[in-house]
Amino acid sequence: MVENARRSLVESDERGNPTPQWEVFVRAEAADPMRHVGSVAAASATEAHEHASRLFGWDAADVWLCPAEAVERYSTRGLATDTEGEESRVNERADGNPEVQDA
Amino acid sequence: MISISKLLCDLDAEGDGLRYDAAEGSEKPQITEKKQRRPVVVWNTTRRCNLYCSHCYAGADLDPASGEFTTAEGKAFLDQLADYGAPVVLFSGGEPLVRDDLVELVSYAADQGLRPVLSSNGTLITHEKAAALRDAGLQYAGISVDGLPERNDQFRGEDGAFDAAVRGIENCLEVGLKTGLRYTITEANAPDLEGVVDLLAEKGLDRFCFYHLDYGGRGAEIVDADLTPQEKREAVRRVADMTLEYHDRGEEIETLLVGNYADAAFLVEYAREEFGEAKAQAVYDYLERNGGDPTGERIADVDYQGNVHLTQFWQGYSLGNVRDRPFGEIWEDESNPLLEALRNREEHLKGKCADCQYQSICRGASRLRALAATGDLFEPDPQCYLTDDEVFGTEAGSMVGGAAD
Repeated sequence: MVENARRSLVESDERGNPTPQWEVFVRAEAADPMRHVGSVAAASATEAHEHASRLFGWDAADVWLCPAEAVERYSTRGLATDTEGEESRVNERADGNPEVQDA
Repeated sequence: MISISKLLCDLDAEGDGLRYDAAEGSEKPQITEKKQRRPVVVWNTTRRCNLYCSHCYAGADLDPASGEFTTAEGKAFLDQLADYGAPVVLFSGGEPLVRDDLVELVSYAADQGLRPVLSSNGTLITHEKAAALRDAGLQYAGISVDGLPERNDQFRGEDGAFDAAVRGIENCLEVGLKTGLRYTITEANAPDLEGVVDLLAEKGLDRFCFYHLDYGGRGAEIVDADLTPQEKREAVRRVADMTLEYHDRGEEIETLLVGNYADAAFLVEYAREEFGEAKAQAVYDYLERNGGDPTGERIADVDYQGNVHLTQFWQGYSLGNVRDRPFGEIWEDESNPLLEALRNREEHLKGKCADCQYQSICRGASRLRALAATGDLFEPDPQCYLTDDEVFGTEAGSMVGGAAD
């Protein structure tokens, strides 16, 4: 009997750096499987299609684009899963003041 | 990165092993015959920055962004890099010092056998912080200064940024941290080049990194501010001349060129002009081992949300995310057609790049600039400043058939 894989939900809300990310899927030839080939940053689906086409060729049979935050991800790998509730530790001193305060 | 001081002045430095042969006396594992296999990984630890630079490739902002790694996630990510065998992790941003766990993360990276280095605007590096980073195992701090006070502050969007960066440099030097200066050239700050190098010598810095502008992040919005290819050639010549002058005076400044591998070909030509054919051949051989533009091979970038990029400048496309899949798996997955094409770019380069005699030491330079300027990934880099004679080897002293054999 095969044991079920222990997948965990991967946090994926508001992916974007800072422009929205679009997951890109390409079928190069009609008989090929659809393949995930990464993500592009673009303000709209049309722009994402153009961006993906420049990277993966205008002659691909199919290109699908999906807003990255709309993809529910479950993975057996990735970063540690026991960090829920922990905040990123960005220092509040970053207030636009470039003064160096010497000790 | 191309080390002018190594190529022209035989100055060894830690880190040369990642580019050429072993630095003399170094205890680090060095790569001699084999090309570097694992990438140096730039980690944009946060998008947040206390400055707002007009050329920022990361599109950094004064406001915090969502999705940045927690300390535990940061450590898990560093574990991924160590497991994969990445030789160096470059803590970058935004401004990495706005993370109050930076020292902890640097220490963790060092404990995992990664070589931790820092890219910073320098303005938040107090004496105390510099000492803490040194004690945590930081090996190098690269501080960005993009001109003398007036131009630098204009570039960086903040009055006083220059003075604060210089105080940060002084603090690093006082605690004995190896520190270098990074300067990205544009039309606006080109006249300050000599002044910036003089500042470096005056402060006792021993490393100067000359960056070409790449067309990513906000850099893409200031393409018009880039120098013309001819002006760029002259600037690189000035850097090479200054390197020779400093070394003639006994000042051992390590000088590096970053972001345009037309510089590799230029240095071969420069070496021939200044020192003769044997030196030109030696420079070519070093650069061939170096392997040309490292995009998607010897350099990688992971942004503050975990997206993996082909270089730190290429933020508009991501191969995958380390929250979904470990870094090593993403980087090794050549079923990705773009990654595969970039790693075999010799088969795809077009125009003069396809026939260039310096292809093996340049490899088409920046594919990102080509993409931004032409919409075609494999057209020539618009910042290639080589002459047709240099590209096609019609002059005496062609490298083809000599070094390549």
